[in-house]
Amino acid sequence: MTPLRILIVDDEPLARGLIREYLVQHPDLSIVGESEHGLQAVHDITELAPDLIFLDIQMPKLSGLEVLELTGRRSGVIFTTADDQHALKAFDLHAVDYLLKPFSQERFDDALARARRALAQVQPEVQNLLADAGQRPARILIRDRNQVHVIAVETIEYVQAQDDYISIHSAGREYLKTQSLAELATQLDPAQFVRVHRSYLLNLQFLQSLERATKDNFVAVMRDGQHIPVSRSGYERLGGLIDGR
Amino acid sequence: MTPVTSSARRLMAYLGVWLLAGLALSGVLVNAAWAAWLPTLVLVLPMAVCLGFVAASAYYVCRSVELTRRGGFQTIAVFGAAAALSGGLWALLCLGWNALGASLLALAGTEPAAREPSAGGFLVAMPSGAMIMLILLAGGLYLISLLIHDIWLAADQVRAAQGREAQSLLQARDAQLQMLRTQINPHFLFNSLNSISALTSQNAAAARAMTLELAAFFRQTLALAGKERIPMADEVALCEHFLAVEKIRFGDKLRTDIRVSDAARAVLIPPMLLQPCIENAIKHGVQHVVEGGCVAVRAFVQEPWLYVTVENPVDPDAPPGTGTGTGLVNIRNRLAALYGERARIGWTRHPDSFSLEMVLPTTVAAP
Repeated sequence: MTPLRILIVDDEPLARGLIREYLVQHPDLSIVGESEHGLQAVHDITELAPDLIFLDIQMPKLSGLEVLELTGRRSGVIFTTADDQHALKAFDLHAVDYLLKPFSQERFDDALARARRALAQVQPEVQNLLADAGQRPARILIRDRNQVHVIAVETIEYVQAQDDYISIHSAGREYLKTQSLAELATQLDPAQFVRVHRSYLLNLQFLQSLERATKDNFVAVMRDGQHIPVSRSGYERLGGLIDGR
Repeated sequence: MTPVTSSARRLMAYLGVWLLAGLALSGVLVNAAWAAWLPTLVLVLPMAVCLGFVAASAYYVCRSVELTRRGGFQTIAVFGAAAALSGGLWALLCLGWNALGASLLALAGTEPAAREPSAGGFLVAMPSGAMIMLILLAGGLYLISLLIHDIWLAADQVRAAQGREAQSLLQARDAQLQMLRTQINPHFLFNSLNSISALTSQNAAAARAMTLELAAFFRQTLALAGKERIPMADEVALCEHFLAVEKIRFGDKLRTDIRVSDAARAVLIPPMLLQPCIENAIKHGVQHVVEGGCVAVRAFVQEPWLYVTVENPVDPDAPPGTGTGTGLVNIRNRLAALYGERARIGWTRHPDSFSLEMVLPTTVAAP
């Protein structure tokens, strides 16, 4: 039987050392890598495809939850955290098992045994946790081959739907992401982002003016001069928001 | 409200005492065969109650010149004048009532004058010099009342002062607890404990060193938090313990460069001013930079001001706004409360660094 392959993700070297030490008790496991921050973890998870990940929550670059979101990983994860009230509340809400630092060898073994029983199966509680965390995000994560882009939501000017992906326009650049426009629209604040057209979602902060194109057709003029088509129902949605201010 | 008239029960008891005194005086007068019971009582009892009210009014005299804010001469002058005036007025009142009462009794059908011919139109015949006696009696009683009120007021002031002291002690304790609660960052504490747990088997000596630094940090936090002002040197020492712990946690990632001039070390500052800034520099700065970085602290004096700056690198990709914790806003509020316009704190987020500057007066004077 091949040993289980482990990845340790934590920005503190001593914290990684502790997990390494606790793993000595389990000779059927082998450590295949250690990641010092979120971006490296995304890379390592994709490259190494470990069976089990010890994942810290608060890390440079990307948080543990963002790492899971980017990699799509929903199984074989054991969370570790010291004291992050926000994360702990979410964990408890979704009955996600986690190791609270500092933890004992017994507690570690216990979490390990539980994780091994459900190894390759998707952990539904983690799925729920991430679905919840995805609501009203402050930043959008985009993976582009080996690169990860982090875009603050307030810098998004507009989003355009293309075949089976969307293109996000922010600070003069364009990022492609495989997600439906409808899904993204539900995640963002409806008071700020308006679906003005079947294929367009725009940020009101960057809207300059509305111009009449034909008799009953409008275009939205953005601050940078970009024209975006507005459908009849999109115009009604916009009107409601602007009048309501 | 005088202490006597502040409750109905007290007033009744007080007047009761004066009525008893009046009864006793009447007894003496009747025994001395100056007058019969009825006219004596008619004269003495109302006058006794009246004197009771006059004496109670001494409270206002005591209040008008506060115990701690008057000289001996002023006291004698005020008390003497008040006593003489009250005594004189009351004696005149006695004289008037003595005559008026007699007429009333005569109208009512009893005629004391008939039975006591010596009374001659008065309730009680007054020998010569009785007026002086009355003035002295009332004035003396009034003086005694003044003294009693003074003692009562003094005791009251002591009680109030004790209450205030207890109250301010409680408030100080409250502020201290509040400070500790914000101070002891659980994330820092539990991560440090986790590091110690890791070190116990890997490097026992380092585990012990870290335990000692952590203990020193918390001990000094407890000692300093209760104080109003501490030398900058003490705050720097506290920060050095804090940084020693963080350096074990983060290893080579965290570097520091602290330069505090001797003049700056001597300046008195409110406790826990620099430490949260340094904690902020690590938590929102160096910790998120993959290759780590240096927290640079400078403190120098340019009379009459103390300048403190903290600089640290930040992750350029991190969205702006993550660099300003509530900790800095708390410091701004504390400075405003302590110094008003005479101190300020400002911070700027640059693309890949964060800088903070505090300016405080070197002398602790009322703003």
